[in-house]
Amino acid sequence: MTARGERVASLAESAALVRDDMIVGLSGFSYQNPPMAIVREIARRGVKNLTLVSGPTSGLETDLLIGAGCVRRVVTAGVVFERVAAVAPAFRRAAERGDLDVWECDECIWHLALKAAAWGMPHVLWRGGVGTSLPELNSDLKEVMEEGRRYLKVPPVQPDVVFLHAAEADPFGNVRVAREAYLGRTFSESALALACRGPVVATVERIVTNAEVAVSPERTIVRGALVVETPWGAHPGGVSGRYVPDLAHYREYAAAGEASLRGDPVPYRRYLESHVYGTEGHDAYRRSIGAERLDALRTSRA
Amino acid sequence: MSEKRVAPASGPTTPPRDVARLLTCVVARELRDGEVVAFGLNAELLLAAALLAQRLHAPNLRIRHGLRIERGHELSPSAWTEERASRSHEVIEYLEAHDAILDVANRSSPMRFCDVFFVGGMQIDREGSANLIGIRGKDGRMTIRGPGSIGTTSIGTLARHVILFSDEHTTRRLVETVDYVSVPGWRRRAAAGLEGGPSLCVTPLAVLDFADGRMRLRSVHAHATEEDVRRRTGFPLPPGPVRTTPPPTPAEVEALSVVDPKGRLDRVDLCRDGGPR
Repeated sequence: MTARGERVASLAESAALVRDDMIVGLSGFSYQNPPMAIVREIARRGVKNLTLVSGPTSGLETDLLIGAGCVRRVVTAGVVFERVAAVAPAFRRAAERGDLDVWECDECIWHLALKAAAWGMPHVLWRGGVGTSLPELNSDLKEVMEEGRRYLKVPPVQPDVVFLHAAEADPFGNVRVAREAYLGRTFSESALALACRGPVVATVERIVTNAEVAVSPERTIVRGALVVETPWGAHPGGVSGRYVPDLAHYREYAAAGEASLRGDPVPYRRYLESHVYGTEGHDAYRRSIGAERLDALRTSRA
Repeated sequence: MSEKRVAPASGPTTPPRDVARLLTCVVARELRDGEVVAFGLNAELLLAAALLAQRLHAPNLRIRHGLRIERGHELSPSAWTEERASRSHEVIEYLEAHDAILDVANRSSPMRFCDVFFVGGMQIDREGSANLIGIRGKDGRMTIRGPGSIGTTSIGTLARHVILFSDEHTTRRLVETVDYVSVPGWRRRAAAGLEGGPSLCVTPLAVLDFADGRMRLRSVHAHATEEDVRRRTGFPLPPGPVRTTPPPTPAEVEALSVVDPKGRLDRVDLCRDGGPR
């Protein structure tokens, strides 16, 4: 019998899948499970004019790529750091300067646009959002009448490539959540993967055996992914059931970004220098944060 | 985001903790047995209110906190938490995928997304529309970018019962007409063929409700004055006798000490004095 093919990749070759002008899906939910290691790798490669489909409510993974100048358009329901910044600073600055197009949506409409792609529909009719500003702000999200009622006509959104971060995966691309995950069964991992026209890359805290995965198939949320073992790959975000977000790091980032908003670009440039461009790769990034600080973020187990 | 000061210049002083506790009681009184209540992740006060209602008069209230149906009895740290010892995974009876948020349009299923939904915003207007998108400048362009509509638009359009909640009471928050609409209020809903509208707007200073699709004063909290509330509202509120918001009852006070034994309500985002003038 021929051996089953493994789907293990490196961060560098995964980031190389992204080219200028692509539509890139990024999973994560606010502070939870952002694929930060791959995002930093993409930022280091200096790609341009990306459309990010992130969230549905997104955070640092989106803001950092905007701040690094890689993004022209975002499809997201919000870019926020709850309790730290009501609006993520690079997103706010780019949108206010007119450097960034925002496809204005909420979480439901974001999901529906991905469903339309996954289902092969030219559009999906949706009653949520009639009577709001969304049709006036998005030229491709029109209000229509159908059998005497108003609906929004939601177009499909199809990423070219999707990146997500999760607790574990096996070498064959079965991606799963931590047993102790408590914030959601899944965030947007499978929604993005099912809508994607190209590869799906999962960075994971650790690679486990296929036998381990087969014991609890209900924990598997995505299959067929390329897998990159990337411990602390969501930092400074958290991973549900593994570690909590490093809010002190978020505050540092937000302060740097807010200085840019006030016209002083130096602190933000310095942040990118020390945490993105100045580190060779994810191992160097981890060393720059320090093992002690990372260990202090681990969720205590029962 | 919010500056926390204690004593309002024009009213009697109140310990800040009591304002959060009063609002918790105000919200809890609006929740009914058997309902499903939903709110986002940065919402300990609303979670406390739901737990309080469950303990006092709504034992069958289901609490949707983000993607979790909670089964705890005590206010626990949330998604933004830095608390490593969080045991929140032990107090959940149902955990769902994020796209379950789409299941909001059918209000009759026993698995329905929610009955009652709480909405906030950068601006809330006289007819109860909410805006999380941005603020227009004089030239009509968006000059202040907001966070985005997050989970509010569709649920706020389709839920049976919408309650507005504001952590400040200022003329910049409570405006005549919102610059952009994330969630439609009474008049916009009617124009789009949707019935009803938000029932209430709860702020750190007052409770407002709606008559003929327009906001009016229902009650003013004991630590505020009617005059101050009117001055801090960006549109005229109809005249009329205004009562004082009933303070927490002994039963509510007792139940609150069980719901929030660690005093987390002391630290919620809330401008106790209404916020900047």
